[in-house]
Amino acid sequence: MDWYEVISENFMVAGGRALEVLAAVRDRHPLVLHGVSLSIGTTDPLNRKYLADLRTLARRCEPAWISDHLCWTGVGGRNLHDLLPLPYTAEVVRHVSQRIRKVQDFLERPILLENVSSYLTFPDSTLSEWEFLRAVTEEADCGILLDINNVFVNAFNHRFSAEEYLDAIPVERVVQFHLAGHSDHGTHLLDTHDHPVREEVWALYQRAVRRFGAISTLIEWDDNIPEFGVLAETAERARRICEATVGAGMTGDDLSAQRLAESAVSAHHRP
Amino acid sequence: MIFQLKDLQNLLYRLITAPSGVAEGLAAEHALPEGGLGTLVDGDERLSAEARLDVYADMYFYRLLEVLKEDYPATSAVLGEANFHNLITAYLIDYRPCEPSVQGAGKFLPDFLRLHPCQELPFCADLATLERAIAEVFCARDASLLEASEMNTLQPKLWGGVEMRRIPASAVLRAQWRTAEVLRAVEEKRDWKPPRRERNWILVWRRNSRVSYREIGSSEAAALAMLARTTEFAKVCEVLAKGLPPDQAPQAIRDTFARWLAEGLITRAAGGKRNHSAPDREPCRG
Repeated sequence: MDWYEVISENFMVAGGRALEVLAAVRDRHPLVLHGVSLSIGTTDPLNRKYLADLRTLARRCEPAWISDHLCWTGVGGRNLHDLLPLPYTAEVVRHVSQRIRKVQDFLERPILLENVSSYLTFPDSTLSEWEFLRAVTEEADCGILLDINNVFVNAFNHRFSAEEYLDAIPVERVVQFHLAGHSDHGTHLLDTHDHPVREEVWALYQRAVRRFGAISTLIEWDDNIPEFGVLAETAERARRICEATVGAGMTGDDLSAQRLAESAVSAHHRP
Repeated sequence: MIFQLKDLQNLLYRLITAPSGVAEGLAAEHALPEGGLGTLVDGDERLSAEARLDVYADMYFYRLLEVLKEDYPATSAVLGEANFHNLITAYLIDYRPCEPSVQGAGKFLPDFLRLHPCQELPFCADLATLERAIAEVFCARDASLLEASEMNTLQPKLWGGVEMRRIPASAVLRAQWRTAEVLRAVEEKRDWKPPRRERNWILVWRRNSRVSYREIGSSEAAALAMLARTTEFAKVCEVLAKGLPPDQAPQAIRDTFARWLAEGLITRAAGGKRNHSAPDREPCRG
């Protein structure tokens, strides 16, 4: 394994084994923090305690980057512990991008936001999902963690073209990929992270690598976790696709780091 | 629009967390615009707007149920699947998750069980309290330990003035039922027996990432409770000696203190008399 991604909230604790393990991993490998409760799209005020804890964790483990999701996770001080979609409108773009800028200022570094899987959309939306993602990240000047499985899931659930989605995302903003499996419920696909990556998602990944380059890729597998060999082979397959698609040259992690450091993502938050 | 977004998010929150499901939540909802849910959420021939919200409602409940099962394995095992499911359904109405980490979702389950005791299994509140303490101690702040060698460098006459306290990764619980036996049985995959109703104290602490627990007597419990704050060793000795014949007290105190040091329970007070910060116990009531 080249590097690790950890769920930020699992390590925002005072002490004990979690932090010991994190330190041991960090001693040997680069890691990135991936949060699930920033709730960048909520109408609640930004949670300063949460941000302070995240900043403390970042100072402790010096991640290559910090990411979370383009969504809301709760309102009125309550948490749904889920990643809910937003209406795709110009006003919501402004609302979210202002909050992202505040978060980046507080953390003193750019962040990445991930496109989420969703099971509903809003008639009020005036933008497509990819137009919304592009507008938010450009107005906020942040990076994108592009989840290829989520693009596929949403393309099925909301009947759009996954290829059109990828083609509309600005190359210079995409710093990391996620790949994962999902479950098919007939009427909809559910992003469960408990299956192997589907062949259609691999094909979409290949297209993404061709467009965005061989950037850092993480396989998410949270349930029904297979033997390590299966995970390693899945990661190896992603590596082979990168090599076959873009050839030898700058490795994925280097390209991701370069893209993050370049002014295209954030001139004033250069790490 | 932001005001509208706030209204939309509040409405979706209410529907997703409606105890009896989205349909009943919708029936009770007064803030729906004319035209109903379909004016706010898209639906199609595959899934209606309501069915799409149901996807989120199911994920909300079952995700939390799984987390709470993992946090309270013994309470869950003792109650059985159906009872635990019903317990969590009721709990989430009164105590909505409000922390960024899902690990905080079950923080108030012991309180809830005290307010709503299970008639057939009245010891469950004590059992859940013990399981919660174990979870909190697991990730509590680290501290440098007071070692026996450090005490041995001091002249015995100076021991009484040494200020010390209990490590943050520890808790002293008072229980009405002997629930440590039940937890031990569940952990060891043995059949558990209903515990005796008998007042007792349980010490929970962490050393080298491992959380342990043991029943303790009343004087040890009183002394360890006192050590939640920075305390002089002489005062701890007074508490430990209470009720003991004068000729037995010194040895008993030596044995107890040696055990505490060996178990890694004591930290030297450093930098003044700062006490453990009180944990955040403000619930999000439903």
